[in-house]
Amino acid sequence: GSSITELLGALCDTCVSGVSWKRRAWGTASRERVRRALRKRAYGALLAKLFQEGSPKGRHGPGPIASTPPRNKVLMISFDLRVAGYQEEAERLEELLGMLGDGSDSGLGELDSVLELLVQLAGSVPPPPASF
Amino acid sequence: MASAANLNAVRETMDVLLEISRLLNTGLDMESLSICVRLCEQGINPEALSSVIKELRKASDTLKATENSTS
Repeated sequence: GSSITELLGALCDTCVSGVSWKRRAWGTASRERVRRALRKRAYGALLAKLFQEGSPKGRHGPGPIASTPPRNKVLMISFDLRVAGYQEEAERLEELLGMLGDGSDSGLGELDSVLELLVQLAGSVPPPPASF
Repeated sequence: MASAANLNAVRETMDVLLEISRLLNTGLDMESLSICVRLCEQGINPEALSSVIKELRKASDTLKATENSTS
């Protein structure tokens, strides 16, 4: 499997996949410079969060929401969707959650971590425009 | 045979996760979701990973804005 360094590099590359490098005036050197800058920001964000967790403030133990299992957090989002009138989306979300097996059934060892990531990123981009 | 079954399980799980991801408006496509899954499997904390993704989006938005203003 790939190392964390390679995977973070690949994640940085997906962020600039839509950029037209040919149109940019700076050329190849710029592409490498942008990649380096992105990696620096990625590691900065990663380490800041890890250090925060190790700080005295972060050692008081997780709050009630932080310690809620990610599956329950998804159910809480589903409840919010229902309240907001998105009945179909809420039902589909619950159905999909039911389709996920536990760690061994899913083939993934860290399924709950992935669900936690999705919860953390929920609503981080605007919803797609409604199609009629 | 067992690994083929496992591969199928992973594929199905990834499809379900991608649909959940879309319903939650996370902004992850299949490629970035796959990378994130592998990072989680490597033990990266999901909250830290979400910070990384948000930070990278800010940086790439700035880059794309610069591109638009110079083209």
